[in-house]
Amino acid sequence: MQNIISDLDQAHEHDPGKKRKLIGDRGDFFLNRMQGETGVNISACYQCERCTNACPVSHFMDIKPHQAIRYVQLGWREDLLKSSTIWICLSCEMCTTYCPNEVDVAEIIHHLRNMAVHSPITPKEKNLAVFHQTFLEVLRKYGRINEFRLMNAYYLKPDILHERIKNKTLKEDLLLGMTLLRKGRLKLFTPKSRAIKEIKKAYSQTRGEIV
Amino acid sequence: MRLSFYPGCSLEGMANDYARSIDTVFRDLGIDLVEIEDWSCCGATAAHSLSQTMSVVLPARNLAVAEKMGLDIVSPCAMCFNRLRFSQNMIRKKVFDIPWHVTGEIRVHDMTRFMAEPSMIKSIKKRVLKPLNGLRVVCYYGCQMVRPPKITGYTDYENPQTMDRIIATTGAQVIDWSYKSTCCGASIGIARREIQESLTRRILQKAQQAGAEAIVVSCPLCQSNLDIIQKDRSDRRTPIFYFTELLRLSFMESGDPKLFKMHFADPVSLLKAKRLL
Repeated sequence: MQNIISDLDQAHEHDPGKKRKLIGDRGDFFLNRMQGETGVNISACYQCERCTNACPVSHFMDIKPHQAIRYVQLGWREDLLKSSTIWICLSCEMCTTYCPNEVDVAEIIHHLRNMAVHSPITPKEKNLAVFHQTFLEVLRKYGRINEFRLMNAYYLKPDILHERIKNKTLKEDLLLGMTLLRKGRLKLFTPKSRAIKEIKKAYSQTRGEIV
Repeated sequence: MRLSFYPGCSLEGMANDYARSIDTVFRDLGIDLVEIEDWSCCGATAAHSLSQTMSVVLPARNLAVAEKMGLDIVSPCAMCFNRLRFSQNMIRKKVFDIPWHVTGEIRVHDMTRFMAEPSMIKSIKKRVLKPLNGLRVVCYYGCQMVRPPKITGYTDYENPQTMDRIIATTGAQVIDWSYKSTCCGASIGIARREIQESLTRRILQKAQQAGAEAIVVSCPLCQSNLDIIQKDRSDRRTPIFYFTELLRLSFMESGDPKLFKMHFADPVSLLKAKRLL
């Protein structure tokens, strides 16, 4: 939202304190790269805002979905990777479904997530990123996800545990866990997938390791 | 008929009542479900978020095994279905290298659409012993089963009908409503609970406004989201059923309250009031 000019008289004056970004000074390197990697024609977006209107969580995002697409076109990469948008997205695919120009917005946001985790930028919604990370760690270890193992691993991450104790939600979550156990909805032990070796190998390969 | 069955991780844990009801229903309908041998997780949203390659490779392993078995896949979980289909698409495009031999030519059904085919509806109709008369429900489809239509193949993605048709066969009254495929918040509640609660509450509220006494779902995550949020509200509870649970109930001479003990919003009193238990 930093580009909205509140005072019209000041619009054309140079403000040395606040450096405004120039449109078009970055060329289309980032745009081409994103288009190549996702296979989506991002240039086709004409900012009709249908994606933002369809999005159930756009009001929790700092950069709205249609703005995110514009940011990609302009190459404002670091703003996107720092944004909460890419982590808040629920992958409900509303944006993709309703785009009149077939811009796969959800796929672009997923790809930006991919980029963000492989960059030194700390995600704005760190907990969500850590959760996804934990999911993959459990998956790599067992081949299947068991909710009990997953939640254990997640809560035992030092940052998460610290935060839960600080805002006093730990007790509530433990109680919920007990209720789930009593109702038989949490299984403490489920078998590993028998194909765990293949999965581990594939996992290492996707991370660029030679196996 | 024989089909390969890809249960998905949730059906071993949080949704094991769903798994049990599927077993019973398919046995009653005379369809042989063969679990995919040593199946593994499809990666869900996490794989997609953190590594695009993994999101194609993980489901591909299950597709490869099913192809070896030579049986079409039916998947009860919306997310698994979506991921399998997505992976299949990418395999056909040959964008990623898959370590296993897989062509992506096998058919992947989601369970509701498979059961809503005319021949299946006919056999369900024959099997109904005790119609669920008087039960007013809405069907909730969620996101991943219907969207994006290019992957899921749904043509009526704005107003999907598969579950409506199945549940109507059991004799229950299915109410039309506008929130059939609005997102329930998925797994965001783990880190940002307020977002998930606002979305889930709205769906419950709208279902009640439509006049529904219960919500019928087919996705394990939607079920737990909609159900667990009702854990501390004693007034106006709206039970959340898996569609196979209602099918199983209608296939039985007399129901058993024990079958519903995993629910937070207890459906027993509602079903007793309707004389279905």
